[in-house]
Amino acid sequence: MRVLLLTALWVHLASSVLLMGAFFMLLLAGAPRASAARRWDAAVIAGSRVLVLLAIGSGIVWLLVRTALFESRAQAALDPRAVLRAVLDTWPGFVWLARHGVLLVLAAFLAIRPDVGERRNWIAARAEALLLAALALALVSASSHAAAITPGTRLAVAVDVAHLVGTGLWLGGLVALAFLLRAAGRDDDAEARAYAVRAARRFSRAALLVMIVLMASGVMNAIAQVESIAGLAGTTHGRLLLGKLALLVAILVLAAVNRARILPALSGPDAMRRLAAFVGLEAVLALVLLGLAAAMTLTTPARHGEPVWPLPLRLTLDTLLDVPATRWRALLGSQLAMAGVVALMVSFLLRRRRAPVCAGALALVAVGAGVGLPPFVVDAYPTTYRRPLVTYHAASIASGMATYHEHCAACHGATGAGDGTSTLRPLADLRSPPASRRHAGELFWLVSHGIPARGMPAFGRRLAERRRWDVINFIRLLGAADASRTIGRRVEPDRAWLVAPDFTVAVGPMAPGALRDYRGRRMVLVVLYTLPGSRARMTELARTYDVLWIMGVEVIAVPRHASPDAIAELGSSPPVLFPVVTDGNADIVATYGMFAPGPHAELLVDRQGYIRAIWEGATGGMPQAAAVQAQVEQLNEEKSPPPFPDDHVH
Amino acid sequence: MAVWQVALVLNLTLAVGLALGYAAWGRRAEALEREFGAARVQVERLERERAACAAGARAGEQQWEGRGVVRAIYPQLLVITHEEIRGLLPARTTSFRAASPALRDSIQVGSLRVGEAIRFSLRGTLADDAALVAVERW
Repeated sequence: MRVLLLTALWVHLASSVLLMGAFFMLLLAGAPRASAARRWDAAVIAGSRVLVLLAIGSGIVWLLVRTALFESRAQAALDPRAVLRAVLDTWPGFVWLARHGVLLVLAAFLAIRPDVGERRNWIAARAEALLLAALALALVSASSHAAAITPGTRLAVAVDVAHLVGTGLWLGGLVALAFLLRAAGRDDDAEARAYAVRAARRFSRAALLVMIVLMASGVMNAIAQVESIAGLAGTTHGRLLLGKLALLVAILVLAAVNRARILPALSGPDAMRRLAAFVGLEAVLALVLLGLAAAMTLTTPARHGEPVWPLPLRLTLDTLLDVPATRWRALLGSQLAMAGVVALMVSFLLRRRRAPVCAGALALVAVGAGVGLPPFVVDAYPTTYRRPLVTYHAASIASGMATYHEHCAACHGATGAGDGTSTLRPLADLRSPPASRRHAGELFWLVSHGIPARGMPAFGRRLAERRRWDVINFIRLLGAADASRTIGRRVEPDRAWLVAPDFTVAVGPMAPGALRDYRGRRMVLVVLYTLPGSRARMTELARTYDVLWIMGVEVIAVPRHASPDAIAELGSSPPVLFPVVTDGNADIVATYGMFAPGPHAELLVDRQGYIRAIWEGATGGMPQAAAVQAQVEQLNEEKSPPPFPDDHVH
Repeated sequence: MAVWQVALVLNLTLAVGLALGYAAWGRRAEALEREFGAARVQVERLERERAACAAGARAGEQQWEGRGVVRAIYPQLLVITHEEIRGLLPARTTSFRAASPALRDSIQVGSLRVGEAIRFSLRGTLADDAALVAVERW
């Protein structure tokens, strides 16, 4: 079924593209006067009549197959009601209707055989057909992957339209040109040959422009849809794009040869035939490329996919930070490679001895890469770029903490320092580089499959996937808690890096909220308290709550010991009006207790969701109201807020 | 008619048809959306008014139901952290007065305590004059 869908889509796209290009090529070549050129003009029109019928036919097949897939039953394809629903009640169906309406108008226009003897009538007829074909093709983007991009839908669709129309002009024109050149090569008619050569030269110039537009819009499309190298190499969508690029390189090489060698020396029918063969080859490759493009539209865009990294290694610049000695090597390597690139450019300007200089330059680049790259190569695994299944949330971290203490702490130590009792030699510290720089997906692979050489067991069978991700969230928290010791009671201006783990704010039986609900709206003062020790500070907070509220702060109080009567225990004079978490405290206390141990602690979270100040410990745990307000004021004055943190760890 | 004239007329027809179609369709969709929103608000208001009338209120009054946790009890006011009260308030902490002295007394003297989860009914014409008419344990 999928193969049929792909085939129908490919035929449909190809015929739409060829239609548009045929009329573009006709207009480029100009009104024909010689008889051979007239025959070509007539043949193109006859061909376009077939193409428009083919486009409509394959479009209908595509619609029927899509309906069957949409309703996941094969009979739906022949059920008029189901098909009608697919056309009228879905956006892609609506776009389909509009496009086929335009194609029908085009078919009707091509069916009438007007007299185009006069030049302006000829131009009007061909331009009208080009316009309709372009409209039908451009409308494809209205229901493409580009239309699903938010925000920036308009720009994405405009770029996609440019890409489609560019494809129509270039690929369609190429095929029409191949036919013209073959026709001209067959005849021994000098006038027809002159016409074909003029057409080929004009197309060559136009194609250069169109190709620039195609590449620019293709790059923009790829940035929007693929987003990352991992997506490019690790998903079906990305790999199809790589295949497309490889074909494009082959086509460009052919085109360059045409432009540089064959086109300037078009004399006899032999050269004409050679050019026709080259252009035909280019056109065939381009049609294959279009098949890949059709397959891309049927796959999930890479940005939504889960990349499976295909290589056993990846490049990273983190080594530069961790091992200072590599910097010299990297510098040397990059300078050698740079010199090689310059030499390569010079070699193209040389007239003589181009080959040896070019070879030397390439060798220099290779040596530079050989010297400079190895330090940056690190091991990679298929899951390296996987996104965690669970968010960085207190509930996940607490569950991960329990799992860690059960399965990991014996070797890695309770704090992750690598000083567990069950190993003979100390292990790497999980809290600091290079272990803490590993991607979450890499940790996931190591936890799942173990490191047999170093005696790390595999947990893939013993722990469910969720629990493995929980452990990874906890390991991230270990690193964050270790680093958080540099965060003091004063806000460091414009330095936000410690992400506040999300947690559920459950007050009584009401529908629970979450810490992240406050993002972009309010700062949050998370207060972990113990009664009766914190009584005085809680009374002060209750009294100054309205001032804090006006300054843009919400206070969320979390008792260290869970109690359904937590609100009542705080008393009613003065009344406590900020949220007091009565459910799920254990997770929050376990998570935030890593940043701030002690019976009473307060953490100030900014509007973006980063922890900016921590008051903790037996003596410093209870700040004065004025001290908190001073820090809040500082956050209020911050000009450029950092971006919101990702909900998942990296 | 010459071909170029046919083409011109065809394009003009297409352009005008597209423009008219888009304008008509877009404006109609917008109008329908507005109408739908207004109708929904009105239905909700009438529904509340009917509920209020059924509970013995004067004409023009509405009734809202809410759930929340008691945060403070003052002589004239009850402060409640509540979930969203549809058609009246988003989820937040609000103070309400009791509609009748009898209810006020029962809140004051009764067993209602800070921290308790409650369901409550409000009656009034607007958020400003909505008052508690019933409070019970959740």
